[in-house]
Amino acid sequence: MVVLWVIDLAVVALSLFLSAGLTVMALRSADSGGGVQAAMLIAAVALLPVAAYPITAWAGARSALAKAILAPPELELDRRLVEVTRSRARLVDAFELDRRRIERDLHDGAQQRLVALTVALGLARLDLAPGSAAAAQVDTAHEQARQALAELRELIRGVHPQVLADRGLPAAVADAADRSPVKVGTDVVLPRRLPAGIEAAAYFAVCEALANVAKHSRASRASVRGRLVDDVLVLEVTDDGVGGADPAGGTGLAGLADRVAVVDGRLLLSSPAGGPTLVRVEIPCGLTVPSG
Amino acid sequence: MRADGPLRIVLAEDAVLLREGMSELLRRFGHAVVAAVGDAPALAAAVEAHEPDVVVTDVRMPPGFSDEGLRAAVALRAARPSLAVLVLSQYVEQTYAVELLDAGPGRGAGVGYLLKDRVGDVEEFDDAVRRVAAGGTVIDPEVVRQLLRRRRDPLERLTPREREVLALMAEGWSNGAIARTLVVTEAAVAKHIGAILAKLDLPPDTDDHRRVRAVLAYLRV
Repeated sequence: MVVLWVIDLAVVALSLFLSAGLTVMALRSADSGGGVQAAMLIAAVALLPVAAYPITAWAGARSALAKAILAPPELELDRRLVEVTRSRARLVDAFELDRRRIERDLHDGAQQRLVALTVALGLARLDLAPGSAAAAQVDTAHEQARQALAELRELIRGVHPQVLADRGLPAAVADAADRSPVKVGTDVVLPRRLPAGIEAAAYFAVCEALANVAKHSRASRASVRGRLVDDVLVLEVTDDGVGGADPAGGTGLAGLADRVAVVDGRLLLSSPAGGPTLVRVEIPCGLTVPSG
Repeated sequence: MRADGPLRIVLAEDAVLLREGMSELLRRFGHAVVAAVGDAPALAAAVEAHEPDVVVTDVRMPPGFSDEGLRAAVALRAARPSLAVLVLSQYVEQTYAVELLDAGPGRGAGVGYLLKDRVGDVEEFDDAVRRVAAGGTVIDPEVVRQLLRRRRDPLERLTPREREVLALMAEGWSNGAIARTLVVTEAAVAKHIGAILAKLDLPPDTDDHRRVRAVLAYLRV
């Protein structure tokens, strides 16, 4: 900014010097004849407003410069925002792909092996005398393998449910509702499949909301409604519970909001003390969002 | 409703280890595995070539590793009214079970939807294959548990015992099997079933197969 200050001074000095110089010259050349002197004076006076132009011009240039330095112009900001949005979209897609890959690997690997193991143990059990020590051991091993399978299945469901990939959001939400200990009615009607990243974010948001209903609301029933409104996915989870859900209360609502935020969506919550609770999720499904 | 003799079976399962294990299991129980294939197109071809008594297929198979096995089963049931089909799924998904049941409503052939884990309970698995082959309906207890949860209100009118009986009916068990499971007489089971059907406004029906369908249709609405 020191450099600019010097330029400021130079511009002002140069502008003034031009008029002042002419005036002085006009006064000094008094002996050279009234005509010339008058002409030079007129030129000097006429130049005064002209001299203001470089000052104005410089002031304009300077303000533009200051703006450029202090705050990037809007175009630049827009460009960066688009880039950040795209990179986030790529990350969401990458996470989604990773989840599917992990699910596929577990399904094709560990799960099949465990089922094969239970078959082998089941067949071995047929050959052992009932009540023998060996039979008891095989029974124990069989039970362990079965439990490992059940645990693995729940784990995989948490990573990426197969029905979501195969049948989309309405079917996956219906299955999630069936698993809830609270009676949940679902009404999700969409005109088409949505990008995979959005489907996954919406599905896990619904699961999280239903888990909250089961854990905190003391509701006897809940419902999930979903529609695509002007290219915005709108999901509403309502319950008839006690209300008073607080995003700061560690009830998973903050995590839910984060899940939705990564796909440019937002979470709205209405939960007065005494209920009912409404969780509304809105996710834009336009062109700037990640595609699956 | 249980086929007692050896059955001719086409098995579709893409994991080689498991395909071998299941083939061995089925042979061990006296069945003939006439074809063991690893993808949906091969399944259709094998059924065409071998005319089996029953098809046992995994849901997820190549080429898409999505639900090709289920789609193949649905297509086979629609195209061959007499073919019994047992679908094994790694996950409990109502959606799949419902699609499978709907692909041939009112037809006589047996149908089953079981969690893959059940294969390890080898004797129960053999029993399920035989029941499906004999025209029965076999639904995984886990699926029934979820279905029962869906329709809470009218079901609350049932006594705990009636709910137990309803669950076993929905899984596809006959009166005799239900009586053995609950350690009661068949007459007691028949009485419970009469009460259940009356409370749920379902028509009394002595045919196991139609009764299972009615109960399932009721539960999944």
